[in-house]
Formats: sequence, structure tokens, C-alpha cells
Amino acid sequence: MQAAQFTYSKVYNLLTKEEFINSAKSGKVLARKCTKCGHLHLVTTYFCQNCGNKGFENVFLEGKGSVVTYTIITVPPAGYEKSVPYAWVVLKLDGVDLRISGFMANIQSPSDLPLGTRVKIAGYDERGILIEKL
Amino acid sequence: MEKVCVIGAGSTKYGKLQDSITDIAIQASVDAIESAGIEPKEIQAGYISNVFGVADKQVHLGPVIMSDLGIPEVPSLSIESACGSGSVSFREAYANVAAGFYDAVLATGVEKVTHTGTEWTTTYFSYCSDFFYEGGAGASFPGLFASMARAYLAEFKATEEDLAMVAVKNHDNGLLNPKAHLRKKITIDDVMKSAVVASPLKLYDCCPFSDGASAVIICNEKFAKKHTKNYVRVIGSGRGGSPAALQGREHLTTIPSTKIAAQAAYKMAGITPKDVDFAEVHDCFTIAELVDTEDLGFFEKGRAVEAVRQGMTKLNGAIPINPSGGLKSKGHPIGATGIGQVVEVFDQLTGNAGERTVKDAKIGLTHNFGATGASCAVHIFKSV
Repeated sequence: MQAAQFTYSKVYNLLTKEEFINSAKSGKVLARKCTKCGHLHLVTTYFCQNCGNKGFENVFLEGKGSVVTYTIITVPPAGYEKSVPYAWVVLKLDGVDLRISGFMANIQSPSDLPLGTRVKIAGYDERGILIEKL
Repeated sequence: MEKVCVIGAGSTKYGKLQDSITDIAIQASVDAIESAGIEPKEIQAGYISNVFGVADKQVHLGPVIMSDLGIPEVPSLSIESACGSGSVSFREAYANVAAGFYDAVLATGVEKVTHTGTEWTTTYFSYCSDFFYEGGAGASFPGLFASMARAYLAEFKATEEDLAMVAVKNHDNGLLNPKAHLRKKITIDDVMKSAVVASPLKLYDCCPFSDGASAVIICNEKFAKKHTKNYVRVIGSGRGGSPAALQGREHLTTIPSTKIAAQAAYKMAGITPKDVDFAEVHDCFTIAELVDTEDLGFFEKGRAVEAVRQGMTKLNGAIPINPSGGLKSKGHPIGATGIGQVVEVFDQLTGNAGERTVKDAKIGLTHNFGATGASCAVHIFKSV
């Protein structure tokens, strides 16, 4: 793994957002596990939200889970005009207490994506974290 | 701590306004000053809430407003907390008067965005989310609340028609408010047939983008008594936070910051939700009003739908919610909204709410949050 580029990561000896993005491209979720209480966080957290500890270890989770909620966007922010309609999805990762959200293409109506649908992290590009059906 | 009061309140009409951001901020401020019966020179600090001043070519609004009020030497600050900017600003003004730093201050909220158009506002509002995970993955603000709505409808077996009832009720109230943005009676059918913005939310589930300004004069009780009998006391003030991104929340049908802020405000006021006579809550989308009224303790979790079906939140109901018309009908000039809620409570408790007066009201509550409730402030007011 490449050395961390950012000062804050050097301080805490943690992998960076850039590496989070790289891991998403290979279907993994780079998470931070508190060394004191075991609570899991996404890569943008620097102190444990459960116990306040600043010690984390890097954990690569399988980017698979189930849809807990979503919306289908028909009036998009700039940059997403050509993607309409698309879904923005929150999924719960399998086997851990951690949720992650992202962009999902080609969703036309709620019948395309019942709650609980099995999905995976499928990459990252200018549309953000990409999610696809398993 | 000093006892804190509101002695004056003013607002522009909310809607699509022609005047500049500074013009409307001054109009509301002057209204508040005159309503309080004070001179600008008695104001010791200014708290200005605004989010997108950049859209109308004026940030650092405080000194401009103070200068135009003839008091350029008076210190001011600008506060941005997304759609909750107004209530957060009110809280800072409250805290400084309570602490005894100032006897009397001005809190003005203002927004001017309608000239930018839907794409600009949709895009810039998305910057209020946790952008890396939300706005940066295509989530609009209607989309984030739509995601909460889908979770709520599934968990509590509610329907899109139930959401629509909230919009219909708030439009009924807004019809009675001369300053409301959308003064138009609507039906459940109108809501259901309106264009989908972010499924399951449709256009009529959403508040409008509005221009507008609101202002209040906040002071200690000694100052209040010297100037007027027409004032209200601030008896509770609470703030709270939530994980910035929806994915960080264990439950998507509740907003943690509302609960934290409300509990603090109730505790300070020494009251329970049952003692509140009416509330102005943050109904940026219909789903939000359901979630808010549960998180504020007016109804048990999942029961707000039943309360709306029974008419309990109507103007003549057991606990009127958003007598002003709320963000949905009165409008949502985001930097002004939290102050505008205080203006409504002031008008209600001082007998200036006209046709939309809540009968025999003594205690009113305001609830205003930023983004999807990542930041929140709750205030409780009592008539004297």
C-alpha cells in the first residue's frame, strides 16, 4: 500500500480518502475500526464516535449488503442531468454495523429496487461511490 | 443568567422578491426595531443568518446592515448553519444576552436565491449535505428527505397520501398568512398528481425556494420592561447535532439532533411537550413534519400519521403545527426561516396573528434544523 499523502493521515497513521476511493474501485470498503471498543467508521472519521478514542486500525470490508432506503432522482443537481432517473441508495453492509450510500444508475421506478435488494459497491467515478445490484 | 425576551419582530413577505438581499434584510430589521419601539442606537450587537449571500453578491452582511441602520460601530457576525442558520443565530443572540454581554441585540435572517433558478439552487443546496457521500453521489435535498420518507412509509405502514395531508394542512394555514409564499388551497389529489422530484416525494411535498428576511429584537427583561408591555419570554433554548450523513444514523425515521435540542429546551423551561400550545417546526418536506412532531415528543414514534389523519395538527386541533403555513406554504428563505418562526410565535403570543391565531395560546415552540437535521435548535416562548 502506498504511503499516506496527507498530513492528517501521517499523524494518525491511517489510510486516506484516496485509498478509500481506490478500494471502492475494487469493490471493498475501507473502514476504520476503533482499537479500544471495536466500533466501525467510514474513512472520514478521526475519533471514535462511540468512545472518543483516536486509535483506529484499517479494515477492508466486502462491499456487499442490502438496500435500507433510497430515492429515485428526477430533478438532479448539476452534473447528473444525463443520468436521470437514477437512484441514491443507502445500504447496510453484510455482517457489520455500518451503512454506506452512493449512486446507482438505471433505476426507473420503485419496482426496480425493493427495500432489501442485494447490492454491492461497484466503483467510484465523477458520480461518487457507485452501487450495483448483486 | 439574565432572563431573555423578544420585544419586536418583523418580516418581509416570503416569495420571489425583486429587492436586493441587503434591501430586504434592512426592511425586516427596521420592522423589528419599530415593532419593539426602540432606536437603532440601543442595539449592541447584530446576529445575521444567511447561507447563499454569494448568490446576490453580498457576503459579510452584518456591517452593511449595521451601517444602513446608522450604527456602523456596532459589532455583528454572520452565521451559516444551512437551513437552520436562523435558529442557530437566534441561539447565539440569546446566549449572549443571557450571559449579560449585551442588553439588546438584533437577529436578522435573510436569503435571496430565487433568481438563480432550480439547477443552481438544487446544486448549491446539495453542498449542505455531507458532500463526499451524499451531494457528491447525486443526492439532492429532496432526495435525502425522500430516502427518509421511504424508510418511514415502510416502517410505519404509512402512505404517500398521508404525506400529502401535511401539505394540504400547511397550505390551509398559509392561506391565512398575508406574508406566505404559496397562498393557494391544495388537495391531496393535487399533491399526488404533482411531478415527482425525488421518489416518493413530489413537487407539492416540497417547500419552495424562497426569498425573504425576518428579524427580531432580543433583550434582557429589564430592557424589555423599560420599552414595552408587548413582549414574550424565551423560557427554553436547546441545541443538538446528528451524524452529518444519513448513513451514519442507526434509524432513518428519527433525527437525533431534534431530540437532543428538544430535551434541553424542555428541561430549561421546566415543561413537557404536553404544555406546548402550538409549534412552528421544520417542514422542509412533508415527511419532515411527521418526523419532527414525533421527535419533539408531541406524538409517539410512528403515530404522527394518525394524528394528522385525525386533524390534531390543524389550526383548531389539539396541538396546532405550523400555524404560519410552515416552510411548505409560508416559504423557506433558508437563512431567514429560523428567525421567521420566532416572528410567528411572537405574533401569536402578542395577539398579532390575525385569522390564523391559535386560541388561548400561552406557550409556543420553534424547531429549525440544518440539512437533514445534522444541526438543530429548539426554542420555547411564553407570553407575559
